[in-house]
Amino acid sequence: MDIKRPHRRHVLSLVGGAAAVGVSGRAFAQAEPPKPTQIVVNHSGGSMGTAMRKAFFNGFEKKYGIRVVETSPVDFGKLRAMVDSGNVEWDLTEIGGQDAIRASKLNLLDKVDPKVVDRSKYPPTAQNPNVFASSVYTTIIGYRTDVFKGGTHPKSWAEWWDVKKFPGARSMRNHPTDNLEFALIADGVPKDKVYPIDFDRAFKKLDQIKPHVTAWWSTGQQPAQLLLDKEVVLATGWNGRFYDVIKKGGPIEIEWNEGALKQGSFAIPRGAKNPYWANKMLAELAVPQQQAVYASELGYPGLNLESLNFVDAKVKPYLPTAYLDKQFWISDEWYAENGAKAQELWNAWMLKKA
Amino acid sequence: MRTGKGAGEGSAELLIEGVAKRFGDVVALDHVSLQVAQGELLTILGPSGSGKTTLLKVVAGFETPDAGRVTVGGANITALPPAKRDIGMVFQNYALFPHLSVKANVAFPLEMRNVGRAEIDRRVGEALAMVELAGYEARLPKQLSGGQQQRVALARAIVFNPRLLLLDEPFGALDRKLRETMQLEVRRLQRRLGLTTIFITHDQEEALVLSDRIAVMNKGAIQQIATTTEIYERPANDFVADFVGESNILHGTMSAPGLVALPDGRKLMVDSEAAPGAKVGVLMRPERFAPGGINEFTGEIVEAVYLGTTFKLRLACEGGQELLVRQPARGPLPAAGTTITVGIDPEAIHVF
Amino acid sequence: MTTRAAWPALPALILLLVFFLFPVVRMLGFSVEAGTLDWYAKALGEGLYLRVFWNTFEIALLVTLFCLLLGYPLGFLMATTTPGWATFGFICVLLPLWTSVLVRTYAWMVLLGRNGVLNRTLMESGLTTDPLPLLHNFTGVLIGMVHVLLPYMVLPIYGAVRRVDPAIPAAAAGLGASSARIFWRIYLPLTLNGIFAGSVLVFVLSLGFFITPALLGGGRVMMIAVLIEQQVRETLNWPFAAALSAVLLVFTFAVYAVAQRFTQSEATR
Repeated sequence: MDIKRPHRRHVLSLVGGAAAVGVSGRAFAQAEPPKPTQIVVNHSGGSMGTAMRKAFFNGFEKKYGIRVVETSPVDFGKLRAMVDSGNVEWDLTEIGGQDAIRASKLNLLDKVDPKVVDRSKYPPTAQNPNVFASSVYTTIIGYRTDVFKGGTHPKSWAEWWDVKKFPGARSMRNHPTDNLEFALIADGVPKDKVYPIDFDRAFKKLDQIKPHVTAWWSTGQQPAQLLLDKEVVLATGWNGRFYDVIKKGGPIEIEWNEGALKQGSFAIPRGAKNPYWANKMLAELAVPQQQAVYASELGYPGLNLESLNFVDAKVKPYLPTAYLDKQFWISDEWYAENGAKAQELWNAWMLKKA
Repeated sequence: MRTGKGAGEGSAELLIEGVAKRFGDVVALDHVSLQVAQGELLTILGPSGSGKTTLLKVVAGFETPDAGRVTVGGANITALPPAKRDIGMVFQNYALFPHLSVKANVAFPLEMRNVGRAEIDRRVGEALAMVELAGYEARLPKQLSGGQQQRVALARAIVFNPRLLLLDEPFGALDRKLRETMQLEVRRLQRRLGLTTIFITHDQEEALVLSDRIAVMNKGAIQQIATTTEIYERPANDFVADFVGESNILHGTMSAPGLVALPDGRKLMVDSEAAPGAKVGVLMRPERFAPGGINEFTGEIVEAVYLGTTFKLRLACEGGQELLVRQPARGPLPAAGTTITVGIDPEAIHVF
Repeated sequence: MTTRAAWPALPALILLLVFFLFPVVRMLGFSVEAGTLDWYAKALGEGLYLRVFWNTFEIALLVTLFCLLLGYPLGFLMATTTPGWATFGFICVLLPLWTSVLVRTYAWMVLLGRNGVLNRTLMESGLTTDPLPLLHNFTGVLIGMVHVLLPYMVLPIYGAVRRVDPAIPAAAAGLGASSARIFWRIYLPLTLNGIFAGSVLVFVLSLGFFITPALLGGGRVMMIAVLIEQQVRETLNWPFAAALSAVLLVFTFAVYAVAQRFTQSEATR
C-alpha cells in the first residue's frame, strides 16, 4: 500500500521551525503560535464527552480562552479520508489502539511534542511518539450479585468456561479481540504467553462455550443491560459500563482477574490546523488531578500513575489501574498485523452452526 | 303529485316504498315511493343533489336506507348485499375492470355465478354480438373508444339476465352524436330483452327520448311521475315545468271559470276547471305561440337566435313581462328592436 | 420526451450524477484499484462471504414477505376506512420512522427478552412455562426489521388501493362477486404495482441493515452490511469493501429486474 503521499505541511512548519530554532527550548517557550478562537476535539461522545468536558475541556477553555468544539464519533475511515484530502477538521481525535498503530504506519499522525506534553510519569508501554495514551479500560467479567452471592462467581476464564460449576446464560463480545485471549487463557496458556495467538486452539476452546452464550454483544452498553434485564447472569464487558451501573446501585459486580487491558488514545491528525494547541490539550489530559476527576466519573483512569493518589478511596477499587498485575495487555501490535485475519476467522466461526 | 298510467299495480316488478336516507343533516331521500312495471324503462330525472343517485344506490344495494323497503318481483331485497341482488348496472364511467380483457369483463358476472366454461363462451359471444363488439374479445378497456367501453359495460350488465337494469348517467362522457346513437341502441336493446330498467339522468332531453315514464326528483322527493308527454305537457308544478323543456311560467288567480288574472291585470283565457279564486301556475311552451292565437302578447324583440328549424326569440312585453317564443324559421331572422305580436290558444296553455 | 421537456429535470439529473453515480463509480474504482479482480474472487469465491450474502438475501426475502402479509391488510384498511381511522393508522405506521433505530431496537429488547413484557405476560397467564426465545436470534431480527420497514410497504400499498376507482369494486359486487372474490380478482391485480414498489423498497432497504440484526440477533445473524462496515471501519480494506458492495449492488439490480418483469406480466394479463 502506498503510504508516501504528500501532505500539507505549512502549518506544521511553524511549530517545527520553532522547535528547530529553540535548541535550548525554554527560552522560546513564550513564542507560541497565535491563539485560534477554537480547536476541534473528536471523541466517542456520550457520557465520555460529558466527563471530558468536566475534567479537561472546561479547564482548558478557562486557561487559554480557546473554545473546545467537540465532535463525534470516532471514525478511522474519516480520519484517513481527511488526511488524504488535506482537509483536516479535527485538531485532536480519539483513536482505537490498533487504529493508532495503523495510523502511525500510514503516516496519518503528527508527533506528540515532548516539550509540551509531560509523560515522565507514564509507564514505558505508554510512550508512543505519535500516540497519547489517555486512559485505560479493560474487558472483565461482570456478574449478577443476586445469582452469585458471597464470592461464588467465576474468578478466571477457566471458571467462566466451567458451565457445570457456574451455570447460567453468558454474553460475550461479537469480536475476536478479548475472546481469543480469554479462550487461550481458559485452555491453560499463561496470560503473558498469549501472543502470537494460536487460532486453532483458541477457536476450538471457543466451540465449547458457544452454546452457552445467549447473546454476542456489539455495542458497549449491551452487557450491563443484558445483566440488568436478566437476559444473562454473566457478561464480559468494559469496566466503565459496569461501574456506571454499580454506581447507581445495580445488582452487578466486577471480577478483575485476567481482564484484558486496552488503552484509550488520542492523536493529532497530520495536517491539523492547530497542532500546537492540540499538544496543549494533551498536556491538560496528562495532569493527574484532572485524570482523577475523569476516572471518578467513568471508571476509566488515565495512565499518569500518580492519578490514583487523587481519587476517592471508594472509587479506587473500580479502576483497572488498581489491578494492573492481575490483568494482561491486549497487543495492539499483534492486531495491527493480524486483525483482518482474526476478524475473518471470527466471522466464519460465528456462521458455523453450533 | 300525479301517478302516471304506465305501471299497472299488478305488474310492478320493482317497488320502492317510503325509502328515506339522511347523510348527517342532509336529507338525501325524503320517503320516496315508486314502482316500475315489468319491461318498463323509468327515468329518474333531476338536477345534481336531487337524490336520484342515492335512490339508485339504495336499489343497487350500495346504500342502506334509514326507512322504507325495496321489493323486486315481490321479494324484499332491502337488506340484501349488492352481490345477491341480481341487478345489472352501468356506471357513470362504466367501471370496467381495467386489467381484464373485454371478454373477461363480460364473463365476470357469469364466473361469479359459477356458469360452465362453454356456457360462458356462448353467452359472452351473444352479449358482445348484441352490442356489436364481436371481435374485440381480447382488447383491454383502455384500447377501446368511449362508446365501445360503454357497450362493454352494457354487455356486462345484461349478460347474466338480471332482473333489473340500472343505468347511472351512462351517456354523460360521450359526444352528442355518439350519445344519440347509444341512446337509441340502449332503448332498442332494452325493449328487445324486455328488461325492467331504471335510468338516471339530469338531461331532460335524454329523458324524453328514452323513457316510458319519467320520475322528476328534486330535494330528495319525487315531484311527478308520468309518461313523457304528460310530464312535458302537463307538469305538476313550477319545478317540473321549468326543469323539463323551455317554458314561460306565470302565476295568477282564477278570476272566473276559464279566466286567469295575472298580477299586471291582464287576463288569460285558459282551458281549466280550476275554481275561481284559486292561485294557479300557468305554463306556456315557447313553441305553442302562433300568429292569430287568442291570447295576444305584444313585445319588443330583445334577442333573436337562429336555430336551424326555428327562431328563438326573447320578447320584452308591455307590462314588463318577458317571454320566450319559438317560431318556424321562415324568411329572415327578425331584427332585435322590432315589435311583434304573438298569440297562444287556451288549449295550449297548461294550468297547474 | 422532447429535449426541451427534459430541461427542468436537469438539476435533479446533476444532483443524481454528483451524489449517486459519481460515488458508485468511485466505489467500483476502489474495488479494482490493484488492477485485478482479486477482491471479487474473494467475495464470490470464499464460503464465508457467499454464506453471508445468502443469509442477507434470505432475511431480506422473509422480511419482505412478512411486511407484505402485515402491510397489505393494513394499507388496504387505511385506504378504505374513514379518514379518522386512516389518520390513526398513519400515525401508528409512521411512528417508527420518527424514532431512532436504537430507541426502537431497545424497545424491542424490553418487549421480547427472556424476562421481557411479552414473555412475562405469556408465562403469568400460563400460556407458556418457559420463556420463548424471541430475542438474540433470527426471530428477533425478523420482528425488529419488519417493524422498522413496515411503513415502506404500507404506504405504496395504501396509495395503490386509493388509486382504484371505488366504482370498480362496487361494480364487481353488483355483478355478484363476494368480498373474497373482489379482493382476489379486482383489488389484488389492480394494486400489484403498489405491492411491487413496497416489496422492492423493503427488500433493498433490508439488504443494508446492520444495527437491528446486530442488536436483536445477538450476533448470530450476520448480514453483508455488517461485513462491509467491518471492512470500512475496522479492517480498513476499502477495495474489498467496495467489491462486496458492488456484488451486493449487482444482486440487488438483478432481483429488481426479475421482480419488475414478473409484476409487469401480471399487470397486463
